Amino acid sequence: MEAIRYDSLQETLYRETLDNGLQVYVLPKPGFQKIYATFSTKYGSIDNHFKVAGQEEIEVPDGIAHFLEHKMFEEPEGDIFAKFASQGASANAFTSFDQTVYLFSATEKIKENLETLINFVQNPYFTDQNVDKEKGIIGQEIGMYRDNPDWRVYFGLIEAMYAVHPVRIDIAGTVESISTITKETLYTCYNAFYHPSNMLLFIVGGVDAEQVFAWVRENQEKKNYQPQGDIERIFQHEPKGVHEKRRTSKLPVSLPKCLFGFKETQVGYEGAERLRRDLATKLALDLLLGASSKLYQKLYDEELISDSFSHEYNSNPRYAFSAIGGDTKDPERLLEVITEEIKAVVQSGFREEDFERTRKKKIGGFLRMLNSPENIAHEFTRYRFRGGDMFEVLPIYESLTLEEVNTRLREHIDWEQLAVSMVVSP
Amino acid sequence: MNKTLFERGSVGNMNIHVLPTNRFKTFAVSLYAGIPLNSKTVTSTALTPFVLRRGTSSYPETLQFREQLEHLYGAGFGFDVYKRGNYQIVQFRMDTINDSFVQSEAPLLAQTFNFLGEVVTKPALEEGVFRESYVAAERENVRKKLEAIINDKIRYAAERCIEEMFQGDPYRLHPLGERSDLDRITASSLHEAYQNWLQEARLDLYVVGDTTLAEVQELVSSSFALNRAAAHSYAHEQVEPVVQEVRTVSEQLDVNQGKLNLGLRTPITYGDDRYASALLYSGILGSYPHSKLFINVREKESLAYYAASRYDGHKGLLTIQSGIEIANYEKALQIIQAQLSDMRSGVISELEMSQTKAMLRNSLLEMKDSAFEMIAYDFNRVLSGKDRPVDELLSQVERVTPEDVVQAAQTFELDTIYFLTGKKEG
Repeated sequence: MEAIRYDSLQETLYRETLDNGLQVYVLPKPGFQKIYATFSTKYGSIDNHFKVAGQEEIEVPDGIAHFLEHKMFEEPEGDIFAKFASQGASANAFTSFDQTVYLFSATEKIKENLETLINFVQNPYFTDQNVDKEKGIIGQEIGMYRDNPDWRVYFGLIEAMYAVHPVRIDIAGTVESISTITKETLYTCYNAFYHPSNMLLFIVGGVDAEQVFAWVRENQEKKNYQPQGDIERIFQHEPKGVHEKRRTSKLPVSLPKCLFGFKETQVGYEGAERLRRDLATKLALDLLLGASSKLYQKLYDEELISDSFSHEYNSNPRYAFSAIGGDTKDPERLLEVITEEIKAVVQSGFREEDFERTRKKKIGGFLRMLNSPENIAHEFTRYRFRGGDMFEVLPIYESLTLEEVNTRLREHIDWEQLAVSMVVSP
Repeated sequence: MNKTLFERGSVGNMNIHVLPTNRFKTFAVSLYAGIPLNSKTVTSTALTPFVLRRGTSSYPETLQFREQLEHLYGAGFGFDVYKRGNYQIVQFRMDTINDSFVQSEAPLLAQTFNFLGEVVTKPALEEGVFRESYVAAERENVRKKLEAIINDKIRYAAERCIEEMFQGDPYRLHPLGERSDLDRITASSLHEAYQNWLQEARLDLYVVGDTTLAEVQELVSSSFALNRAAAHSYAHEQVEPVVQEVRTVSEQLDVNQGKLNLGLRTPITYGDDRYASALLYSGILGSYPHSKLFINVREKESLAYYAASRYDGHKGLLTIQSGIEIANYEKALQIIQAQLSDMRSGVISELEMSQTKAMLRNSLLEMKDSAFEMIAYDFNRVLSGKDRPVDELLSQVERVTPEDVVQAAQTFELDTIYFLTGKKEG
């Protein structure tokens, strides 16, 4: 067990990689009542084509990572939620593009709950009957998202940007794609991606680190994991440029929803370099479009945007894109004004004082995030799986320069890489 | 330095509640302003914070206002307008970094109070009233928010169910007011309404962080320009609900998934000695993944992705919400009603009791890890007049028997069945 002290944050992180490859992290929060634990696999909706060393290459149905997440909660003795409830723990799980996370929070029976979390995720139990039953439930989940205009406009943007990369696949799949899922395909995916060497356990809260490591080691030593070869994730070549310039969906909405963004051409950055690019891009977008930017205020004054206007930057070593927009009465006019203004800022670059102020805001936002055990666990795992270290965020923000951020802005704003997604009433 | 009880004081007829602690990296500040829900004032009260967040006397331009927040290390600033019982509450929140983590020229807590004090008591004015341009823009903003409720069908169905259930009761009103009122509101009428609101509202200011009651009282005295004649208090009258007959309302919209919502009334409110029994009732019925609704509607019958209940102790209201295949309406309704009838006739297992108690215990203990949740819990005391510290509620929950739950169940009367369904084809 290794201790890493972050004096300026008044935090100490403990870490160890177990013999079977599982990475374990503990962040004690003295004085906190609860503990929050996440057990995550680096496996999400984009991992639909892969090859484990020594095994055959395989392609699996869309939505299977999410389906697997649902099915993990069923054990031979019944639903695992009931067991967590008996132990006073609130449990849940979620699947994203590149990870699946199982979690609980509890204020008592910490050892039992931690063991329940590890054991249920390490004990798959799929039958023809329980797989079939889940199709009805997930079918309703898909139906719920189909009626949600925010989800539709967001996925519409990714579908417009990407021609072949599986990030364009809806995380839950479709009713048709999940209909082809069987217990055999679930076991295949499980065996490939749920090996401890592809997983990370993060525990944060009112715990003693030594004690937690002892429990986890003891639990894992009883299980006989054989070393697993590397997982090769196979992605077809994604062409430069966007798949479609524009995509429009019809759904009843009070105002049109308009989301646009730039698909990054240069990807493949790893570790600290990618994190730095990531934070520089986020800072640039905030300077350009944040609530204290001139552009935001102009759009607001012209009633082209409302409080729903936002921006995000989503980046993975394999894909990266921005998503900007919200509700608007006039998508065409919004795009026109934004395009013109962005061109002007790209030309002039940001001002030093705006840069310094926005940097302060980002630092404050990061520190506030550290009040929340949930956010710490989620952010840490997400950064780790993408090859970065969350605790580097603060020093990177402190060392970023105006020039770097201006350069990143000019790289990212590539009009050939622009896609637009809209949801309008039928 | 890690107290668990709020210290109370008062300045200028505003109540002050301070919890000194150094467990968090921020100062959490919440100001609650509550007035009775009334169709005459609901819209102007709702619009007020939107205008207040546009500018203050020191930062009259919105850009200056937002830049100042960024200078405070991106202090979190936000507000909400919602209902608690028959009150309309405007809540302002600030979350500012504790100075020990950053290099700041002036103390951040003092700057936070200067800012919040100005927002609430020294707004930007022109010719003695609110700025016309701010009022016009925020009127449109609130109108768009009201119109956008229909975009999110889950929320829309929930609010429509409440509206149907409380015809003739102020609780039918939406906390953001009524669209038809907006046109009549002018800069000068809103300014007048704001001044009345500032006189009439009950004001409660909370701070959780590394400070003291004395320090906060001094900061409030110097930063809030209050000139209130009286302190006011929340009324705690008990209303016995009367259900005449169950109403069924069905509404058609262009949706894929149907939303089935039920509304029930109970005389058990927050101040009632049976409050803990009502929490157990809702918990066993539908608040958790081990609850009857989740198990029977989702897990056994695969009818829904979500099926849950929520108990509101300030209004004496329980709502059930589910998203189902439209064709399954009868079946889902019948299963939900069977759960209600099981609750009444006492089909409640020891396991359901112990699981639900453990979950309630967990959520009550967890609150102590979040500054804003501790504040929200304490505010229940202010609203209801019932002083019930968390530890007392914990022991009350432990003592609840199945007979208590069955007795509570007799008081929950089904009032309204609301179904959001698709438009019939051809």
